[in-house]
Amino acid sequence: MTQHTNFIKALLLILTFISLPKTGWAQGQDKATVFGKVSSATGEVLIGVSVALKDANIGTTTDEKGQFRISGISAGNYVLTLSYIGFETQEQPIQLGESQNLELNLRLINKAFVMNSVEIVGKTATKEINEQPYAVTAISVKELQNSSSDAKEVLNRVSGVKVLEEGGLGSNLSFTLNGFSGDQVKFFLDGIPMDNFSSSLSLSDIPVNTIDRLEVYKGVVPVWLGTDALGGAVNIITNKKNNFLDASYSVGSFNTHRLSINGAYTNPTSGFTLRGTANYNYSDNNYKVWVPIKKGNNVIDSAEVKRFHDRYRSGTLKLETGWVDQKFADNFLFGIIATGNDKQVQTGATMSSVYGGITRNSQSIVPTLKYSKENLFLKGLNVSFSSAFNRTKSEVIDTLRGVQYNWLGEATYTPGSTDGELNRTFTTLTDNDFNSQFNTSYAFGPKVSLAFNYALSYFARESFDTENPDRIENKFPKSLTKQLAGLAFKFDPTEKWSTTVFGKFYYLNAKTSKQYDFAQDNQRIDAFESQKENIGYGIASTYFLLPKLQLKASYEHTYRMPWATEIFGDGLFTTPNPDLGPEQSNNVNAGAAYGFNLGPDHQFNLESSFIYRAANDLIYQVVKVASPETYYDNLSKTRTVGIEGGLRYRWRETFNMGGSMTFQDITDQADFVFNESYTNTGYQKNFQKDFRVPNIPYLFGNANAGLTFKNVLTEKSVWGINYYFNFVEQYFLSWAELGSRDFKKVIPRQYSHNLELSYSLKQGKYNITAECRNLTDALLYDKYYLQKPGRAFYLKLRYVL
Amino acid sequence: MFSITQVKKLALPMLSLGAALTFTSCSEDDDTKNAGTQGDQFVMSLAIQGSNNTFTYYTVPFADVMTGSLSAQGKGIEQPGYFDFTQIGNTIYSIGGLDDVNVVGITKTATGELQQLGNISFANSLSDIIQADANTLVAVEMSSNSNMVKFHTINANTVTVTSTKQHPVSNLTNLSAPSYSGMRISGNQLFLSYYISDPTTFATPHTNEAQVAVYSYPALEFQKVISDTRTGPAGGFNTKTGLIKDEQGNIYALSNSNPANGYSQTTKKGGILRIASGQTTFDQNYFFDVEAVTGGKNISHLKYLGNGKALAEINAEANANQARWSDGPLKTAIVDLNAKIVTYINGLPQHAGNGRRLAALQDGNAVYMAIPEGNGIYVYKIDTQNHTATKGAEVQANFVAGFSKL
Repeated sequence: MTQHTNFIKALLLILTFISLPKTGWAQGQDKATVFGKVSSATGEVLIGVSVALKDANIGTTTDEKGQFRISGISAGNYVLTLSYIGFETQEQPIQLGESQNLELNLRLINKAFVMNSVEIVGKTATKEINEQPYAVTAISVKELQNSSSDAKEVLNRVSGVKVLEEGGLGSNLSFTLNGFSGDQVKFFLDGIPMDNFSSSLSLSDIPVNTIDRLEVYKGVVPVWLGTDALGGAVNIITNKKNNFLDASYSVGSFNTHRLSINGAYTNPTSGFTLRGTANYNYSDNNYKVWVPIKKGNNVIDSAEVKRFHDRYRSGTLKLETGWVDQKFADNFLFGIIATGNDKQVQTGATMSSVYGGITRNSQSIVPTLKYSKENLFLKGLNVSFSSAFNRTKSEVIDTLRGVQYNWLGEATYTPGSTDGELNRTFTTLTDNDFNSQFNTSYAFGPKVSLAFNYALSYFARESFDTENPDRIENKFPKSLTKQLAGLAFKFDPTEKWSTTVFGKFYYLNAKTSKQYDFAQDNQRIDAFESQKENIGYGIASTYFLLPKLQLKASYEHTYRMPWATEIFGDGLFTTPNPDLGPEQSNNVNAGAAYGFNLGPDHQFNLESSFIYRAANDLIYQVVKVASPETYYDNLSKTRTVGIEGGLRYRWRETFNMGGSMTFQDITDQADFVFNESYTNTGYQKNFQKDFRVPNIPYLFGNANAGLTFKNVLTEKSVWGINYYFNFVEQYFLSWAELGSRDFKKVIPRQYSHNLELSYSLKQGKYNITAECRNLTDALLYDKYYLQKPGRAFYLKLRYVL
Repeated sequence: MFSITQVKKLALPMLSLGAALTFTSCSEDDDTKNAGTQGDQFVMSLAIQGSNNTFTYYTVPFADVMTGSLSAQGKGIEQPGYFDFTQIGNTIYSIGGLDDVNVVGITKTATGELQQLGNISFANSLSDIIQADANTLVAVEMSSNSNMVKFHTINANTVTVTSTKQHPVSNLTNLSAPSYSGMRISGNQLFLSYYISDPTTFATPHTNEAQVAVYSYPALEFQKVISDTRTGPAGGFNTKTGLIKDEQGNIYALSNSNPANGYSQTTKKGGILRIASGQTTFDQNYFFDVEAVTGGKNISHLKYLGNGKALAEINAEANANQARWSDGPLKTAIVDLNAKIVTYINGLPQHAGNGRRLAALQDGNAVYMAIPEGNGIYVYKIDTQNHTATKGAEVQANFVAGFSKL
């Protein structure tokens, strides 16, 4: 059992939607302390046992002597929770008076098949070293597991985060995180970058019961995540219990069906483990939208019609096998992900274009390998490695000739015309993507540690268009190589203060084709290669002013490398931009998190942060009103000043409510714009300097409230009712200040309400949830003129073994 | 339960949360309507380039364009994209280009405010809209990615398409591909000029003749293609002035196969041909040898004013010295089509063009234009009788796409 030494770290730190730090500071004058020793039934000292006060969100782990100490506790009644891998979790009710020092010596009982959630590869190795100073919000999904939500809906409730959807299930998503829009936020699945994961592995395809928790890093991203995330990062951590089965089926409006089966088996002695996830998503997305109806060339009417060509299907199978908790590795896992989707394409970048024949599909096979070991050769030397190879084949099909659809689904035929609906094409994209990440860290002592990370990603695409086999662009290889090396030094002078200094080296090499000398005599399409090397650096620090009042501040000079889709396009609506360069910014984040109790029953958590960002060459998605196509470009100079805050309140275990609000003012700071055309070529005055950058929400918030009743009607049952509210202030598609407000293109102000009722039986073995989304049937738009679904009902059945 | 110390602990986080709300509450500006008033007769379509390299057009009313500074701050009709503005009667038609395939009319309400009228859209951007009669417009849709030429008849009052007539592009030529350069209706004919431009390279390998397609009007049946080898193709890239018409119904075809307006080669001298009113052939007795009069310079843009006179933007450089697509440098002149005389305007600097339809407003004996000069753009009022110009207001825009009066 001692091989578990130092392995397990408490997850209980993440009980609420704010991450709370480990405790261990000086005792308050009137505060109580609980301390003691934890051993196994046979008397072995247990090291690294998570010990937490359940209602106070304070926790620690046992030290090398199996001892723990939690101080600074207000007087009251608590439940002390002890959890350790391979043992029954033990709950011990305690009562603490003022200034009381309570000693508890406890024994844990072995349990072969029950294990607490375990930190995953990468995270485990370095968590102790670098987690604290970053602005991180961790969301435990446990309470939401019966909900029919998916990853994106959970994320959308985090302050500073806004998920923008183009439509129903399977539609494109983009994010803003503290003013960094679209893809400036990087996503990880269990620590592996999702950059080039296929479209069938997007956030809306990940059902909530396959997720253990979500971590949202705002601003500075820890070195161990290794990526060139500039605005922040989201790490989705999937269930890692050793033995379980979780199956769910949900059915809802628009003929939506979602099936998810999720399970694991681990042999307690050999450590051999087998984990599997299968999920299937289907929706016709035939929700109603308000659109102009065209007859011929005239708009004859505006009407509410059902979308008629928007079906989405996706399926994923994920298997992982290997060993856990062995001498040679803490985790040594091989996996394979097989996934596929197909999607009918209803509209382009706005609903002004409507299609009835365009489809796209993709299939991927992703073998993965993960290895991690703490205390490899030396005590304090932790190593982890993860690697994934993703082969994706996708097709973009627009092969109708001379046919145009209107919103009634009526086709107009033009005899003799060979025009496609958008651009006649049958393009096959074959993408090979290799991602690898290596982390190592070494602790020189309790106060000083060093971490190193190296990440390599290689993406290559081949395209072929059978409708246009001679297309010159397709004859040039497209590839993108990114390398990133990071070194972080962490210094903890006192228990209250922790500081990390880091440096990152970025390397980008893109090979593609590009048109040279457009419309000149020597116009040609030729190979184009660009190479960028940048050095970033930063500092992040946190200080506990009070035991539960944490201050965080960070500064970073950083770069973000463009993604493959941003440079190469997606073969349909996103057109390539080979000249797209890295984005550079100076980011300052400062924030505070505070948790306190008023009496034994009222528990409050507050967080707030301030953001300042000065970015050059911001990577930005350009949407044009009438065009179905979009592309990415660099905005030469922008500035973000933002503030966000969140509040959460819980009364016993019965009632909870919370909310968050974000304001971000992103303004254009460029003095000049460059006119690339051949007339009046050169720099011209930027008449929109200081104006708010268009098409990014600037004020939004959300709120929720929930009631939980236990053992009503039946024993061991839980009833829950939850309400969610979302708000986005109106914003403009173009720069804010020119033109009359009456004529500006807007994304209107939106309010949406969701209501969820859940009932769970036999200690959570059987669960049933009913949900109504968009209760008021409001017209919702996340993106300019792309309407989201109206009122919708879902029912979810879930079985957990 | 709520002790003083607890309240103090709350203070800091509450302050910062409160700040978020204060920040936001003062960011809303007054929501005033600013689409114009009775006194604002001039309407300018200002094009603003964003840092993301897209343009947004603001069609803004102004009472006075000769003093001060003209800006779209808080007023005007916003149109993001590419738009071409042409005024016909009391309506400005904004024609979407590049990826935009919509057309809207902009008119003035009884109270003097600008309003948008109609909303029609097409498979490809319209190349142009011209007037057929007081209530009827004809639009043409020609695109290198379509194998059809489509004529749309539009009700000018409601801005709706009343009928569409399609003809194969192969009527015009088997070469790839004819590109629109001008259109006029005279009597019972519609004349359509075009030049051959490779859809991929934009090279113009066929410059030995001017070609105009003749259709019947109002039936819009294809009749024939007429050609003339005295000069090169009529019109240039995106200038839309290949054909102009005088009061008598004579059609003039301007040929300027010069690099600055998109030609990769020039094989004939630039000049002006005529199709006499009521005829469907080029008038063999009329040829205006422009280069002979200007000393080897070509006309890029031509706007018919009246009495046989037109406003011309004339290249300051001979073809050999022009940068391709530059649409400049230009000098402004009055051209007498009958006397074949060119008179340059005094007091108007040599300037760059915009590579698109000339934004010029004729108002009696005055023509207003926005001229780039130094780092700014200024309104110039041209006296077409005395051939002089006066400098007016500075325009806060990257260029001016339309200059109208409603």
